Parts: sequence; C-alpha cells; structure tokens
Amino acid sequence: AFAQTASISIKGKLIGDDDGQPIIGVIITDSNKKNLGTTNFDGEFSINIPKNTMVTFSYIGYEPTKMTFANSQSNLTIRLKVATTALNEVVVTALGIKREEKALGYAVTTVQGEQLTDAVSNNWTDALSGKVAGLNLVRSNSGPAGSNKIILRGENNLTGDNEALIVVDGVVINQGTGRRTANAGESAYGTGSDNMPADYGSGLNDINPEDIESVSVLKGPGAAALYGQRGANGAIIITTKSGSAKRKGLGITFNSNVALESGNRWPDLQYEYGQGTGGASYYSFGAGPDGPSTSGTSSAYGPRFDGQMFFQYDPVTQTRGTERTPWVPYNKLNDFFEVGETFTNSVSLDGGTDKTTARFSVTNVKNTWITPNTGYDRNSVALSVSSKINSKLQVTSKINYTNRNSDNLPGAGYGNQSLMYWYIFWQPSADPDWLRNYWKLGQEGRAIQYPFSSFPENPYAISYEFINKSDRNTLTGNIQATYNFTKNLSLMVRTSLDMGYERRAQERPYDAGTRLPKGSYRTQNIYSQEASSDFLLKYTKKFKKDFEVTATAGGSMLKNIYNKDEIRADSLNQPGVYTTANSAGPLATYPFRSQYNINSFYGLLSTSYKDFLYLDLTNRIDWNSVLATPNRTDNVNFSYPSASLSFLASEIFKLPKLIDFAKFRTSYSEVGSGSTIPYRTSYNYEIAGSGLYPGGALNNPSLLPNPNLRPLRTTTYEFGADLRFFNNRLGFDVAYYYGNTKDQILTRIVDRSTGYNQVLVNLGKVSNRGFELAVNGTPISTKSGFKWTSYFTFSSNRNRVEELGDSSVVLRNGPVGGGQIVVKVGGSMGDLYGRGYQRAPDGQVIYDEATGFAKISDEVVYLGNTIPKFRTSLGNEFRYKQFRFNALFDAQVGGVAHSLSHYKLVEQGKLTKTLPGRYSGIIGNGVIQNADGTFRPNDKITFDVDGYYRSHMGIDNAEGSTFRTDFIKFREARLDYTLTPKLVKKLGMQKASIGVYGRNLFIWSPWPIFDPEFGTLAGTDIVQGFETAQFPSTRTYGINLIIGI
Amino acid sequence: ALPAQLLAPALVNTLTTNMVRNRNFNNELMQVTVNQSDAEAVVFRYEFRRNLSDYAWNNLYVQLNNFKDIYNLANSDSNIDKSYRGISLICQAWVFSILTDTYGDIPYSEALKGKELVFEPKFDQQKDVYLGLFQQLEEANTLLAGAPNILAGSDPVYQGNASRWRKFGNSLYLRLLLRLSGKAEVAQQCIDKIKDIVDVNPSNYPRIASNDESAILKWTGMGPFTSPYVLSVREQDWRAPSIGAFFIDHLRDWNDPRLDISTYGRNGVNRWGIAQGPNGFAGVKSGYVPGTGEPKQSYFYSSASVVSGFPAQNLQNDPLTGMIMNYAEQQFILAEAAAKGWINGSAEDFYKSGVLNSITLWVPTWSLSVDTYLINADMQFLPTDGLAEKMEKIHLQKYYALFLADNQQWFEYRRTGYPTLPKGPGLRNDGIMPARMTYPVYVESANPSNYKLAVAAQGPDEIFTQVWWQKP
Repeated sequence: AFAQTASISIKGKLIGDDDGQPIIGVIITDSNKKNLGTTNFDGEFSINIPKNTMVTFSYIGYEPTKMTFANSQSNLTIRLKVATTALNEVVVTALGIKREEKALGYAVTTVQGEQLTDAVSNNWTDALSGKVAGLNLVRSNSGPAGSNKIILRGENNLTGDNEALIVVDGVVINQGTGRRTANAGESAYGTGSDNMPADYGSGLNDINPEDIESVSVLKGPGAAALYGQRGANGAIIITTKSGSAKRKGLGITFNSNVALESGNRWPDLQYEYGQGTGGASYYSFGAGPDGPSTSGTSSAYGPRFDGQMFFQYDPVTQTRGTERTPWVPYNKLNDFFEVGETFTNSVSLDGGTDKTTARFSVTNVKNTWITPNTGYDRNSVALSVSSKINSKLQVTSKINYTNRNSDNLPGAGYGNQSLMYWYIFWQPSADPDWLRNYWKLGQEGRAIQYPFSSFPENPYAISYEFINKSDRNTLTGNIQATYNFTKNLSLMVRTSLDMGYERRAQERPYDAGTRLPKGSYRTQNIYSQEASSDFLLKYTKKFKKDFEVTATAGGSMLKNIYNKDEIRADSLNQPGVYTTANSAGPLATYPFRSQYNINSFYGLLSTSYKDFLYLDLTNRIDWNSVLATPNRTDNVNFSYPSASLSFLASEIFKLPKLIDFAKFRTSYSEVGSGSTIPYRTSYNYEIAGSGLYPGGALNNPSLLPNPNLRPLRTTTYEFGADLRFFNNRLGFDVAYYYGNTKDQILTRIVDRSTGYNQVLVNLGKVSNRGFELAVNGTPISTKSGFKWTSYFTFSSNRNRVEELGDSSVVLRNGPVGGGQIVVKVGGSMGDLYGRGYQRAPDGQVIYDEATGFAKISDEVVYLGNTIPKFRTSLGNEFRYKQFRFNALFDAQVGGVAHSLSHYKLVEQGKLTKTLPGRYSGIIGNGVIQNADGTFRPNDKITFDVDGYYRSHMGIDNAEGSTFRTDFIKFREARLDYTLTPKLVKKLGMQKASIGVYGRNLFIWSPWPIFDPEFGTLAGTDIVQGFETAQFPSTRTYGINLIIGI
Repeated sequence: ALPAQLLAPALVNTLTTNMVRNRNFNNELMQVTVNQSDAEAVVFRYEFRRNLSDYAWNNLYVQLNNFKDIYNLANSDSNIDKSYRGISLICQAWVFSILTDTYGDIPYSEALKGKELVFEPKFDQQKDVYLGLFQQLEEANTLLAGAPNILAGSDPVYQGNASRWRKFGNSLYLRLLLRLSGKAEVAQQCIDKIKDIVDVNPSNYPRIASNDESAILKWTGMGPFTSPYVLSVREQDWRAPSIGAFFIDHLRDWNDPRLDISTYGRNGVNRWGIAQGPNGFAGVKSGYVPGTGEPKQSYFYSSASVVSGFPAQNLQNDPLTGMIMNYAEQQFILAEAAAKGWINGSAEDFYKSGVLNSITLWVPTWSLSVDTYLINADMQFLPTDGLAEKMEKIHLQKYYALFLADNQQWFEYRRTGYPTLPKGPGLRNDGIMPARMTYPVYVESANPSNYKLAVAAQGPDEIFTQVWWQKP
C-alpha cells in the first residue's frame, strides 16, 4: 500500500504550441482540483506527486492538458495547444467585464489586434470592414485624416444620432476626443465661396492599431445595456495591449511598415473634344483674330481634336499665345494626384514579474497624401501597468497619449476652394501643368492666376496657399484598483479621463474667392474633457453544487466638457501673414460651450445552472443633466432593464457526434436615451452676426426648445445560435433581432410661420429588424502544416417608420437638384426622392417633340433607398509552414445614391458617355407623346447634344445621376513569412516576420465616380446618399516587418 | 434680451432676404435683368420652380418673430418702451405686407406663436391680414407720437430717430392703402384714409419729406453692415445676368444721369455701375424662346470689376441698395392719388417731385431741371393726357424709383398693369405675369390641414391664382 503512494518528481517546461515561448503561471492541479503549483518565469515547474496521478495543466487561452505520470521525469517539454473551443473563450463585455462567451445571451464579435494590422490604412477602423456581420462604416474619404462613422445593425434613429459607442480601455470617447468637429459655415456644397470643410478626423483615428489587443463589438442594445443611454446603438470596446509575464525577460518588438497609396478608380473622362460650347468650329483663348473668346466656359463641347491650330493659353505670359498652337488633348488630369506614402515605426517593450507586468510602446507615423502638400505626422505613446500589491489588491493603469500634427489637410466638397471642383471643371484641351505657377505675374502673393472660368480656383494655389492646419493632443487613460475582500467579494474602483486639445487654423491668401478678397485667417481652439469615476462591487456565491450567482452593482459619475473657440479675421492687412494681429477688420468670434453630467447606478445579476443555462439580468438608472431645465430636475432620471439567456444544448443533450457545440441565446433589452446635446430645454437667444454687431445683438433661436423633453426608448429582442461541427472545423453564428425606437428626440421641421425652423419634440417610432450570419471554417488542415481557414459574414437590416406624428418629415436635402431624404410612415430611413424621367405607361422615357430632350417629371419620385439591403464578406487564410496568405472580399447590395460629380461632369461634356451624337445628332431611346395621348417611338433628332445629355443626367434630373452603390471589393490581401524559431534564435531574436499587403485592391461597381462607399461631410456628421465631389478612393500597398528580441 | 439687441440683426436679415429676391426674382420678372439660361424654369419666362418659394417665406417669418419679440420685450413690466413697440409694429406691417403680396393668404393672426405651441397656424384671408396691418400702423403712429429716440447703435436705418420711424410708418400706410384702393369692397375706406392722412390730418400723420428721411439701410461695409450682395452673391454671379432691354433702353433714351458716365460717373463708370455691352448701353430682350437668346449686353459691374485701372463703382457694394421705402415712391403714390382725384394738390407736381428725388437720391449733384429732363425724355405731363397716359408715365418713373425695393415693382405691376412691359414669344403661363408665388412645398407636409383650407379658400396653389386684392 505504501509503495502505491510512492512519490515521484516531475520537472519540465511548458511552452505555447503557437509560438514556442515559455508560458508563465500555468496552473497545475490534480484530479481533485488541488493546486500543485505554477510555472515560473521560464515556464518551468517542479512537482512531487503520487505515482499514476492525473495532472491537469491549464492556462487561459490554451486547451487544458491532462497527463498521467508513472515515473519521475526531469526534462519534460509540454506544448499547450491554443484553445479553439468556445468553452474557454473569454470576451470583453460592457463596462470591461470579462465573461466566458458561452454564458452570453447576446451577440459579441471579437476582432483581434493582428486582424487590424494585417493591412493597415490611415484610419484603422477601415480594417473592421468585412470582419463583423452587421457593422457599417460610413467613410468620409476626405483626406488622410478621413474619419469614419460606425453604425451597428442599421439606423434606428431618425436623427444623425445613431453611432456606436466607442470605448477605449473603459473610456468612452464619442463625446470627447472621438467627437468630430466641423467649423461653422463650412459646407461640402460650398459654392458660397466660403472655406471648404477639411476632415480633421477624430481621436478615434488617432488610436494606434499596433497598441490594440482586441476589439469587442457589442452589436445590440442588449449587449450594451450596461452602458446606459449611450449604448443604445451598440458599442465598440477597444482593449489596448497589456504587459504579459509569459515571456522570458523583456520582450522588445519592432514593427516597421511602409505603405503606398494611389487612386484606384477613375471616371471615364473623354479626350476627343476640347473646351467650348455647342460644337464650336474654332477655339480662341480670349477674343482674338479667329473670333470672340471661347475660353470662358467650363464645358468641353468645343472643337474635336483634329490636328488644328488655335490661339491658346500661354502659361509663360499668362495670356493668349502669340501664335496658333496645336489643338491636342492632355490626358493627364489624374496625374495631378500623387502617390501617398505612410511610414509607421513602432517599438514596444513588454514584460513583467509574477507581481507586476508592464507594456510600453512608442509609435511614429509619417504620412503624405495623394493631393499635393497634404499629410500628417503622428506620435503615440502607450503605457500599461498592472501590479499585484498583495494577494488582495491589484492596481492597473493604462495611458495612451497621441499627438497628431498636420501642416495641411485638404478641403473637401464642391466649391471654388475645392480640388475636386477644379477636377470637374478642368479642360481636356489644357495641361494641368500650366497652373503650377499659380500667382499672376507681377502680383505674387496678391492675385491668383487661373486662365478659364472664374468659378474654380487654381489647384496648386489651393494645395500650397489654402492651408488647413491641425495640431491635436489626446490623452486617454484610466487607473483602476481591485480589492478582493474574500474569494467571493471584490470591489473595483476606476477613474478614467479622456482629454483632448486641438489647435486648428485655416489660412487663405489674398484673392481666395469673392468672399475673401483679402485673405483670411481663422483659428479654432478645441478643448474636450470627459472624466468619469465608477465602481463595481462583485459578489459570487455557489449554491449547492450546480447553481452559481454573481451579483454586480456599480455606479458612475461622468462629466463632459466641450469648448470650442473660433476667431476669424476674414480680411488681412498684409498678404501671407497669418496672425490675428494682421486682421484688417474686427475679429469675429464664435464661442461654443457645452457641459453635461450623467450619474448612474446599475446592477448585473448573473446566474448559472450547471454548465448549460445562464441568465443575466441588468438594470440601470441614469440621471442626465441634459434633460434638466433651470426650474426642475424631475424628468432627468430614467431606468431600463435587460435580460438575456444562454442555453448550451450540447452540455445537456446527447447530440450527434459531429456536433461539438450548440448554444442558443435570447435577450430582451430596453435602453433609454436623453441625448447628449445640452441646453435644449430652456429658451436661449443666439448671438447675432458672430458677435460683430454693436451692443451684443441677438436673434431668437431657430430651434424652439422643449422644457418637457423625455428620454427616447429603444426596445430590442434578439435570438441567436452558435453551432460548431466536425471538431470545431465548422462554426455558425446566427442572430435575428427586432425592436423599435420610440419617442425619438427629433428636431421637427415646422412651418416657419410659427416663427421657428424647428421644434424639439419626442416623436416617432422606427422599427428595425435584421439577420446576421457568421461562418467560420477550416476546410483543410493537414499534418504537413497546411491549413486553410475561411470566414464568411452576411448581414441584412430593414427599418420601417411606424409612427411619425401626422406628417412626413424631410430629414435632409441634397445639394441642388439632387433630391432629398424623406421619411414617411411605412417608408424607411434612407428613402431618396427627386425628380426623374417622365415615363410612358410601359416605362419608356418620354421625349419632348420640339427639342428631342427627355422630359422631366413635375413631382418628385422615389429613387431608391440609400441604405444597402445587405452586406457580405468572405475571407480566406492559408498557412503553410512559415507562410501565411490571406485575402478578404466584401460586398454590399441594394442601395442607391445621387452623384453630384457625375451630373456636373455630364453637363460639361467631360465623360465619354456624352460623346455619342457629337455633332451628327442623336435620337433618344424612348417615345414621344402624340396629341391624342398615344405614344410613338421617338423620332426627333436633336443636334443640341449638350441639352440632350443635360436633360438625361443634368441638374434637374436627379434620377439620371442616381446610381446603385452595389460593389464587390477586393478589400485586403496579405502574404507573410515568419522565420523559423530555430533561425530566429540563431539571430538572437525571439521572432521575426515580414509581410506584404494590399488594401482596396479592386472595386467592381456600377457607381460611375470613384468609390461607391463614400460619405459626405455634413457638419459633424458624415452622411450617405449624396455624393458631393468626393476625392478618389485609394489602393494601398505596403510592406511590414516585425522583429521581436 | 433687450429690444435694442434684436432690432439691427432683424433689419439686416430682412433686407438680405428682400435684396436676394429682388435680384433674382423681381428683377427677372420685371425685365431689369435677363438671366440668359436656356434651362427649364426660368423666372423671366414666367415659370419657376416651387422651391423658389421657400426662401422668402422661411426667412421673413423668422425675422418677424424677432420683430414681434421686440414688441413683447418692450411691453413687459420691467421694460415699457413706446418707441420700440412702435418700431416693431411698423416693421411687422412692412414684412407681413411683403409676405401677403407675394403669397396671398398667409398665417397672420396665429403666426409666430410657436412658443405657445401653435405649430400649425391657420392661414388668414388677405383682407383680414391687411386690416390687421392697418391697425398695427395706426397703433404705431400713436405710440411714436412724441416718443423718445432709441439707442442709435441698435438702429442702422434711422440711427435711433423715432420721429423718422413714425414718418416711414405713415408712408408705408399710404403704400398699403393704395394697394387696396382698387378693390371694390374696401376701396372707399382706403381712399378716405388716404385723404385723411394727406389732406385732413397731415399733422397727425407725418410722412417722409425728403430723400434724407427715406427708409434705407445704408450699408457701411463694416462687419454685419456689409451689403448682402457682397455676402450672398458671388462676384462672378453678380455680373452674370445681362440687363434687360426694357430697363436700360429708357434710361439711355432719356439721357438719364444715373447712366451718364461723363458728367455723373466716376472713373469711367456711371452711378448705377452698369457696364456697356457689345452694343454699348443696350439690353437683352426678355421672354425669348429657349435657344434664341441674344448675346449678353450691358451688365452690372461687380465688386471685383476694374475699369481703367480703378475698381469700378458698382451696386454690389453700394450703400443705397438697402432700400425699404424712399421719398420718391411716396411722391408717386401721391401723384396717382391726385391724378385720380382722391387728394388735393397737383398730380404733375407730385410726379415731378418723384422724378427729381428718384434721381437725386443717387445723383445728388444733378444739375438739370426736372422739366428739361422730362421734355428731353418726352415724359412730361401733356394737357391732352388722360388718366391712362398719366398712370403710364407715373408708373414708368415709379418703376425706377422702386428699383432695389424688394418685390415692389412686381406688386405694382400686378395692381396696375404698369409699366407696359413688352412680352417675348417664349413666355409661359399664357404670357400672363405670375400673380403670386406658390406656398413652400414643405408647408404641405408641415401644416397640412391649414394648407388645404387655404387652397380651398383662395384657389389652386399655382402662380396664376390671383390674390384677393388683384381679383376684380
């Protein structure tokens, strides 16, 4: 008997199967779950156990490994396999609470850091495209700092307030550094000669993707219920990397990345006819020997390039040439754009002891963009420290600091200060290089030379003299302490801060359009701060053997401050001196102040029965100062519950062997929101005329405030399943949800005879339903090391306006004749209306008998919905030994949008589609209405080709320039090679890999201009549906080198 | 807020609206300019898009809210001020009259009550609007009698002079009374009131008595007092339209000093900043068939135009474009009333005074006698002239006096049919001058039931539906 219990000694080392690195802190237990010890810094352990004891080695993220030892061992190496089953997957949920995924009754998608850095772009959030079912990115595409708006599960809110909550290490940044800020008066449709809006990006862009450990996407309000009112549109939880004690000693990683970007899709510009109108027989720059001037027009309906000689512009003298020169096309308009370059270099240090771990990283990014003289520099520093002070107290802190500085960001949109406006207006018969010397001879610094129409500005002047500067510092961080009173009771206390300070300036030279004949200098100082403190008290109790309850109670106090001070000197004494002291007139000031507080209490009750049934109940109460009035605070608080259930069928039923895992989940949630725009519950006069009137003049507000404002309420039901088959080689995750949002806080447009433009009301109800599917599979995995993994996502969403007072509401007007977004009961959020063709009963276009032009409807017609009906993606990864290749395609289907660039290019005869009929005449495909009301095939030949195309695709015919935004994109590809551990060791490193990648490689789409996935800057929002002189979208190629020592 | 804080921006914003509409609506209809576009829906061709209606409706009502608020703020326990109340009423009458003359029946008695949660105000019949405006002007006249001046800095029109506001109010009263003087059901009442103001009780109804007292917001070019034509119109757009043949031919044929470069011009440019076209001072005939337009002729110089090395004198940044109501207009009102025998005095004298002041407002140094000018122009009253000939002459001259004053040329043409505008072959709307602007389309959605009632009462919401005072 004694011999049977004889002790043996086991010594060995635990390494990760994935990287061969030692694993520190592996817990070693026997079959009675008695702790036998843990591994040390080098992953080594030494235990004494009775013979034939079964020992379990477990570590988070790895498969537990069980071994039985009969004899002593002294030099054992155990490789722990990376966990692949859902059972052990730990995900970050609301408030940063880590949970086992199997216990969740709602959908969470986790994107790992490396998926974000495989093919990096200027805005790291681009990398979320195609990886998360139900996620929609609305991109501004407006320059190197271009911001994105993230919408989860469609739009359920009638106002623009439908973005996901962005949380970085527990710090909500939406209303602070993550807030997009527009300058007053700047509009993407900016033909009033004011400044064009530059996209200054937001703090969300500035997050360094190299520092991101994972992104948890909480898609529904059920998942985000604990975030309270701000989580009504789902949440994106970003967790930055921490130090790990797994590595031996100090880990140093160098990551170097070079990316080149250039335009990937261009309009079909014609180079057969030059400047002129009506098929003119000659050309003359200014009036000359050949006749009156034909150079004032922006149209290219002039003479055909037939080897003629005309008097043309001479860039040297900036006047008409003295001799006739050949009439030739210059097919180099697209060459105006340069190759953008981005260099990213980062160093990270990480390591720790068994008590303290830390990670520190520094990243430098240098960017030049595709338009001349634009780009930015970014430096980020991140620090993460975690320390176990003693067995009960743990303190952690994460701090991220970023400085992003740009000497010039391009102005976006359609207006005389915009590059893309010039792109539309430039002539096929003129060389863009003629514009390089942009000052008028002898008037350097005072007058800008542009040879043709006075509408567009010289693009080189815009690039080098119309400067939009930005210097932004953001600091986000938290300090957190957790105290474990007992094994079952713990308290977490955390303070977090999100602080941003940005200085912007817009410099305009003399002659910068008719509103700024003597230049302009404008500055904005923007300070944002959101500070919050919260606590979580957690108690876990096991009843009997199978029943476990975890009760968590928490509370938070939040204070948000946002100040923006703008000063304008819209006339300068001396050209080129950009200081407020150089102002020729009084300085106009545009102060903006906003402040609100939200206090909250919340609770979470998680119960589990055995290992197959999990129930979560939450409740939260918010007190939101936004809803208070100067006289009362009784309607500021509101509360809302959620419940979710997870049922693991595979744990209780005997399922067929091919099913490894089957989980079904359901949730119900209500979320209230009181909005985060303060000062709308009491009457305030507005400062008139930017404060320039004597005596502090005022206007009545155009928005009538509402002292009885109530929070809106979103109710959502969700059902889902997570199924895995064939040894986890194939997995499905499906979700269906429906719900509605009512009592929306709307700015209702009213008849101005009330004295107001809008009144603030609680109105409307929008239902929202959708389906999401994610499939993960490993079609091939061979012993030789070849592995093919694949993932597929699909999501669709429908929203319907159920109630809307008694009227239809115009939400947004497109620029000029482009149509408008109108919501009506029974309609959807993105319904686009505009004038279109008059059509015969059989659908044929009706032509005007007299002119031969297409006839345009008198009333607006439905043109389609601007929100795509579904999105889908397919990603594949192939690994073979040291090689890895992946490729991602994604697609969207079912949306439409109106293109302003297209209608303008058509009106000016710049597209190849305006060539047919020049000048032999054209008969449009359609019918003519006879006097008796019947129709006959169109037989009217028109020689007014300009007017003909205008009737089809010009300003009045919104339908003619409305196109489907469907696309398939080759979104990402990457090939990398990782050096073998043996070779790496020889070189004295821990790891090394090199990769090449591409992003947005190809686009297949019926959209005529650049990129169907565009958004237009509209104040602080980015809107879909109306393309307004967008920039080219870019294709990125890069090389990436990672070295760890 | 104090009443003084609201007045200046409300005046500037109202004038901005009026000036923009004057330029691209009134001037096109009344052949001051011809926007040479072959596109559909061109105003000069009596065809315009419905969304043209929104601008004036939206902006004027919002400014009315400010004007009305001045009255309320000056009528509170803490602040009783007769002057601001009187000025508020005059401004309300001025702006409401432009609205009703443009659209017909409009929200009036229930308008501007958003604060009282009236979001769908009823439309009042034009007659009731006018009778209400008359009451407001009577009240203003009473309030301003002997009222103290207001803060000069708050009043860019009269620099605080309350008695001048009173004079403007009574002159405006005459403008509105004359507008209804042909409408049978109220004609006698209006004619009697005109006589009361002009002949019976002139001391109780002081009126504008000189160009100096004209209601004009003179743009200084400083900050908010920069001309809206500079702030709201691009320089290249300002000089884009050609001047109409009707407008410029008379001035040229009359040898009008406002067109004269050599005597009354500056640096080669005449007082109205009109550039010569290929045919010298000539215009484009309005109302042409699409595609048959003549080449551009004379046009207005812009703020960026340079003539013989000097920035050209131009109306884009001229101080006098902030026209509300000038002395000359009032003289022409009296000329018409006298010609029709409603008031004492000589129609011819009022007519000559109107012509003289219309010119000297712009060219104070004009040295010619008005009689000589009229004889040279063949515009003098002749003994043989009947009422029709006098009306034609009065209104042709009044047309130039009303230049730049919101839509007044259009209103007067609709009322009288004068001046006789040539009609081009390309006109739509059966060649009949549009009688109104349609209501803004969004009002159909935002105020649906009252919109339907208004259309039922007034007639179809179309540009050919005559407003109440225009109907026989």
